[in-house]
Amino acid sequence: MNNTIVSYLLDFEIVRNMFDFVSTKFGLNASGILTFFIFFIAAFIVVNVMAVIGGLGTYAERKISADMQMRIGPNRVGPFGILQFLADGVKMIMKEDIVPAKADRALFFVAPTLCLMGVFASLAVIPFSKGLTLTHLNVGVVYLLGVSSLVGIGIFLGGYSSNSKWSMLGGMRGASQIISYEIPVTLSMLAVVVLAGGLSFDKLVDAQTGWPTGWFIFHNPFTFIGFFVFFVGVLAETNRAPFDLPEAESELVSGYHTEFTGMRFAFFALAEYVEVFVVCGAASALFLGGYKVPMDLGGESILGQILQMGSFLTKTFLLYYVVIWIRWTLPRLRVDQLMVVCWKYLTPIALFNLVGCALWVYFLNGKSFYELVMNMAVTSIHSGGGH
Amino acid sequence: MSSTGLNVYMPVVMLFAFGFIAVAGALLVGKLVRPHHPTKLKETAYECGEEPVGSAWSQFNIRFYVVGLIFIIFDVESALMFPVAAVFKQFNEIGMGSIALCSFLVFIGILVVGIVYCWKKGDLDWVKSYQHSAARRTIKE
Amino acid sequence: MFVKFLFLISTLLTLAGAIGVVAVKNIMHACVFLLASLIGVAGLYVTLGADFVSAVQLVVYVGGVVILMIFAVMLTGGDKADFFNKFGFEKVSAMGNKKTYLVGSAVLIVFTLSVGKIIFNIIDLKSSKDPQSYVSTVEQLGHLLLTDHVLAFEASSVVLLGALIGAAIIARPNRGVK
Repeated sequence: MNNTIVSYLLDFEIVRNMFDFVSTKFGLNASGILTFFIFFIAAFIVVNVMAVIGGLGTYAERKISADMQMRIGPNRVGPFGILQFLADGVKMIMKEDIVPAKADRALFFVAPTLCLMGVFASLAVIPFSKGLTLTHLNVGVVYLLGVSSLVGIGIFLGGYSSNSKWSMLGGMRGASQIISYEIPVTLSMLAVVVLAGGLSFDKLVDAQTGWPTGWFIFHNPFTFIGFFVFFVGVLAETNRAPFDLPEAESELVSGYHTEFTGMRFAFFALAEYVEVFVVCGAASALFLGGYKVPMDLGGESILGQILQMGSFLTKTFLLYYVVIWIRWTLPRLRVDQLMVVCWKYLTPIALFNLVGCALWVYFLNGKSFYELVMNMAVTSIHSGGGH
Repeated sequence: MSSTGLNVYMPVVMLFAFGFIAVAGALLVGKLVRPHHPTKLKETAYECGEEPVGSAWSQFNIRFYVVGLIFIIFDVESALMFPVAAVFKQFNEIGMGSIALCSFLVFIGILVVGIVYCWKKGDLDWVKSYQHSAARRTIKE
Repeated sequence: MFVKFLFLISTLLTLAGAIGVVAVKNIMHACVFLLASLIGVAGLYVTLGADFVSAVQLVVYVGGVVILMIFAVMLTGGDKADFFNKFGFEKVSAMGNKKTYLVGSAVLIVFTLSVGKIIFNIIDLKSSKDPQSYVSTVEQLGHLLLTDHVLAFEASSVVLLGALIGAAIIARPNRGVK
């Protein structure tokens, strides 16, 4: 069933009374308008928080990379330099907007719009907690894949519309990289779907438990490998190093966003950092137990939701740190190595994982590795103690 | 309230709208704040200090297109596999697991044949296909 | 209320995109209008209650077919003057031989069985669970794909295999060796 934040809030007396009050005062359609307002406020909050997280992601990247390179990083603007992203934003908005003479003006506007629209639309299904997610669509996983491909088109159009050789190459490589790595990502998601029996994120997360033994990553060896396949795949999807050839700084100047100045470049960068958060969130929801808290503390109350959100955000930010860590550790892959890794390594491994998970569910009734070990231990204790 | 079922898609539409409004709004606001002094040099494409020669639209290599073709086949395949994967567990519970498993494995198997074919024929290589096939031809002769 | 609004913007997007595809001169702009039109169609699927089909539309069409078309346009690119809509088609005569007729009749049998199942319900595999008792359309689709329409399901994988091999052969760099 589709659950939304509105249906969660309707569990509370106060909200129900508000709905009744509005219905009796203003007629039948009023509850629809109230639903709209609640969705609007929730979506607005989510978008703003995500934009701040995207901005803080740039700051975190600079600080963490500085730490790894024995530097200090930004420390002037605000305490510990934490307001650096705001200063960058103000700078970007005041830069001159140079559109090359031969560029395609319409597509110059469409490209960052598509990137940002795709990323924002994927925020609708990110499972922050059981009740406070915007919607738990029945087809959440497929929807997430679909809107992430809008970003790929945006990247290509950015490269094309600049009418510059560097950008064109970057755009083509970026689009082909994104579409290639969608396949191992989709196949890894399919393995998890087979285990959980549903496509919506809350069903996928509810099939795991709060303790790490119940997470899908430790469920069976196939999902363990599947997590790493998924992680490498989404690293490539978001154009993060070592897969950042489309925006390779040393090769293509700046790849597909060379000619974009000021705010337009800021949109591309914001879309990239928010997308990294989205895919880390998806990885933690699919493999690391998502918003599940050990022993389900708090239950359905507001405190429980906050605990769940904390659990989800902790795991996501840990993965975010790993993503940043990998960028500043590994060298960049060449374009043919990129394609070889995808089609000759990740896709066969992902197919193997999918078949393995299906066989696991069939033969062992979907019991996790931990459950099997526990059962064996219990039966051996029983049979051993029965003498 | 006849649209309660479809209210789940309200945030989707809203977020699409927010994305569009954010970009359009920020660019509009920027138009008021930022300078606008276009010169001819500023408006040429950047090519590391050189003057750009020729148009940017050159004939691109066919391997991009081959990758796109293989991708779309696997995309449609995974789209077809999603409903089957979603009900696999339930079929297993009501005792029809072997039917589901056989259908699933046959489906994947036929497509594995496809990817093996592409691999062997060198369609998945990015650069080496010319040398690969040239070397093969010299060995045959 | 929301259904009407969603229907309105979906139809506007679909129709405006479709008109844009045929009307603009630049092929790249036509591809972007096609993208808008396909997103509108996904919205229309949502209003019909087919949520899985709309998600698949986003994944396959928006994320695959449009990119493929853009790549194809880039491949045949040249000067900016060539990026115009041109009408024209070539007819290639195809003479069948025994193999093609054999494959063709097999395809016809599979096709008739699949279409007959959909329209006239000629095959009816009883299963112990009623498809309508599932909660969402995804699971209904999955149930039907595994029981009643399993022939169509497997045949689609063979069709995809044929498309893959055919496309790989046509797009291979060194053609005409054989």
